Amino acid sequence: MASIRVENIEKTFGKFKALNGVSLEVRDQEFVVLLGPSGCGKTTLLRIIAGLEQAEKGRVWIGDRDVTELPPRARKIAMVFQNYAVFPHLTVFENIAFGLRMQKATPEKLRANVERAATLMHIENLLERYPAQLSGGQRQRVAVARALAVEPEVLLMDEPLSNLDALLRLEMRAELKRLLAESRTTTLYVTHDQVEAMSLADRIAVMNTGYVVQYDEPMKVYQEPANTFVGGFIGSPPMNFLKVRVEGQQAQLQSLSLKIPTPAPGPEVLLGVRPEDLEAYLEPQPQSFTAEVLVVEPLGPHLLLTLRFGQQLLKATVPPDFRVRAGQTLWFKPQPDRLRWLDPGSGQALAAR
Amino acid sequence: MRSERYIPYVLILPSVLFLLFLFAWPLLEALLLSVRGSGGQWTLENFQRMAADLYFKDALKYTLLLTVVIVPLQVVMALGMAMLLGGISRGRDLFLYVWTIPLGISDLAAGIVWLAIFTERGYLNSFLQGIGVIQQPQLWLSYETPTMIFVAVVAAEVWRATAIVFVILVAGLQLIPKEYSEAAEVFGATPWQRFWKVTLPLLMPSLQVALILRTILALEVFAVVVALGGRNLPVLAGEAYYWYNAYQNPGVAAAYSVIILGISVVATMLYLRLMRSKREGAA
Amino acid sequence: MNLRVLYMLLAGVLVVWVLLPIFLIATLAFSDRSSVFAWPKGLLPQQFSLETIAFFFGVEGVWKAIRNSLTVAAMTLVFSVLLGAPAGYALARYRFAGADAYRLLILMTRAFPLAILAIPLAVQFIQLGIYDTAFGVALVHTALALPFAVLVTSSLFLGIPKELEEAAWTLGCDRIQAFLRVVLPLALPGLAATAIFAFVISWNEVFAATLLTLRERTLPAFLLTSLNDSPLPFRFAGGFFLIVPALIFIFIIRRYLFTLWGIANR
Repeated sequence: MASIRVENIEKTFGKFKALNGVSLEVRDQEFVVLLGPSGCGKTTLLRIIAGLEQAEKGRVWIGDRDVTELPPRARKIAMVFQNYAVFPHLTVFENIAFGLRMQKATPEKLRANVERAATLMHIENLLERYPAQLSGGQRQRVAVARALAVEPEVLLMDEPLSNLDALLRLEMRAELKRLLAESRTTTLYVTHDQVEAMSLADRIAVMNTGYVVQYDEPMKVYQEPANTFVGGFIGSPPMNFLKVRVEGQQAQLQSLSLKIPTPAPGPEVLLGVRPEDLEAYLEPQPQSFTAEVLVVEPLGPHLLLTLRFGQQLLKATVPPDFRVRAGQTLWFKPQPDRLRWLDPGSGQALAAR
Repeated sequence: MRSERYIPYVLILPSVLFLLFLFAWPLLEALLLSVRGSGGQWTLENFQRMAADLYFKDALKYTLLLTVVIVPLQVVMALGMAMLLGGISRGRDLFLYVWTIPLGISDLAAGIVWLAIFTERGYLNSFLQGIGVIQQPQLWLSYETPTMIFVAVVAAEVWRATAIVFVILVAGLQLIPKEYSEAAEVFGATPWQRFWKVTLPLLMPSLQVALILRTILALEVFAVVVALGGRNLPVLAGEAYYWYNAYQNPGVAAAYSVIILGISVVATMLYLRLMRSKREGAA
Repeated sequence: MNLRVLYMLLAGVLVVWVLLPIFLIATLAFSDRSSVFAWPKGLLPQQFSLETIAFFFGVEGVWKAIRNSLTVAAMTLVFSVLLGAPAGYALARYRFAGADAYRLLILMTRAFPLAILAIPLAVQFIQLGIYDTAFGVALVHTALALPFAVLVTSSLFLGIPKELEEAAWTLGCDRIQAFLRVVLPLALPGLAATAIFAFVISWNEVFAATLLTLRERTLPAFLLTSLNDSPLPFRFAGGFFLIVPALIFIFIIRRYLFTLWGIANR
């Protein structure tokens, strides 16, 4: 087990700047998820830590070793690839044993480690098979077992669940969580799926355009996005951002006036509010604002409303038994302790509460 | 930083050096050889001797004529075979294998095979006798019947080398997504229209490769002709061979090879230009 | 329904067109001398005889020519794979300045009638002392087969996911170990097909082989130079013998034929 530390990593592909001086630290035994849209640099960062790509600038530490100059084989890492990269010409046993054979492990240790890893992943009865005889989910298990068998200091995973179908993904997600909680291996995990990130991570590093924009615990990232990008990327439907007029220390939305905790940067401010934090009423309410219902989408656990508030669109969720039709006007009150204030110019949050 | 930039260069270096030594250099050497006299002076003597030679005109004529007859025949036939293969469901693999067998057969062997058919007591004459057309064996491959030698060479070459065009075209067809043709069908195109308006234009790159390759090989036609007609049907590559081997004159032989190279380059350029303008016209 | 029958009929005619001449030459090769000269000939062999074949192998120089052909083809096979596979690997795995120029060089070799280059080479080979050797002929044959080897192996390596190699690196392999343990076993059938293809190219080549040898003839060169003064049975048996290995090789590599050409197209 070891920590991971990267400092000021820069990487360009031709003219495209993939990473703009990224620094990040993963504590020993921590599970960190790199989350971001495609092209944000998350996989590149992971591959640089693995030694599969070379950064132009910056350094990588694993534990207290500077591994920047080391080839992948000397970094004491293991990696799980998006397409599993299970060797098709080797049996499951030989796949899992591959790393151990390279380490010249004793036959006893080899057998013990392979069996332990296989049992952990519930594939102990598949050891003699070839990958072509396995399902996608089983190959996935082999890939993880192969990585665990070498007892790496650091486990790197590149979108390991994205090639599985939805149901299997859900199942594997829970299993991975159990497994890594048990093995306590330091893990860096790349995904573009925010639900996956929320469910697995001790901490999430949200990346965009080659920067880490927020690095915090999942619920913090969800409730207190550092900027409009994070609020919009995490959560489905995304956070609403309403442009609101500022009068003194107060933000004014019709009859609703809200106190802004920090001085506003100008005459307007962005109010970030999650759809589930807007409470809807059929009758007029004090301290509320009105919006017209454009679309009603019944989603099962709740109804998703698309609303028009002045010139702006916003989303809200209401209980499934809420009697509402398109064209109606509703009154809304946001939950006052769940609000987020942002600068409309830069999109950055005004200040931490 | 660990540098890995040099790795690909190390990997291609041996083949680059090899091709420089066995492709670029002899190419240059052929040019030099053809314009130098025995004393090393610059001269057009080799080309003059070549042009003045009795066989030269016929060799040039027959080489070009063979190319012009054989290549289109092969392309049309291969195209037909490729389309035919698309219409066959059962035994497709067997047809594929049998039709590509000639790929592995050399020009010399093909010449000998067709010699067995066209020779005096060969299968052609036996067949003609069998259906009562002739009574006595007919001599087809003598210096008096260059047309028949020509026909025999065409038959042998079409038999042997249509397979390569066929394989290139089938490989090209596999790269064309079915959806195009299906879309055209939905919009009411007949099979004939689909072939002309969709398949053929999309197949252009493969056709181009096949045409260039086949034309170049047709221009160096040699062993088939020697096997079937000796020097009774002179061709350029054959003359190069005779001048080098029988007359011990590398200069004139090189002049012949330069002529073949020249025609090949012109033909390649022509294909590239003609077929590109066609594609742009279609777009 | 009728169309289907017509298709099968046409396909059948094409099968006969390809196979009949091979059948005829085989018939002649396995007949006795008198039936080779018989007139008129029946389609079916009169009687099976090894006389013609035995006569062919009895001619002085034939065995030597066969041995030379095998030597040259084996050398060509080895050279083509050793020179071509690394380049194919480089094209498949690395993006590097000059990759396009290199591809162009490879494609250009196919726009020239390479065998013709045997003429200037013969002059040089005499000076280098490799004229009339199997090695010299193999060099020219390698030049013929190398472009194929490069393009085919490059498509072969492209078909093996890079992640497999990367996984091997992360599991403790250096580059060479990863290649030997992961890439090579997966590429082996395709490499074998490439090698066989190179072998066939060499086995069949006659122009350069004839120009570059005098005593150390390959089989095609030997046959060609003795065409004029050899009897028909000898030629037929020789022609048949030339075809046989090619038939077997094409059968072995038939699965790869289209991958070979599909990629070589681009």
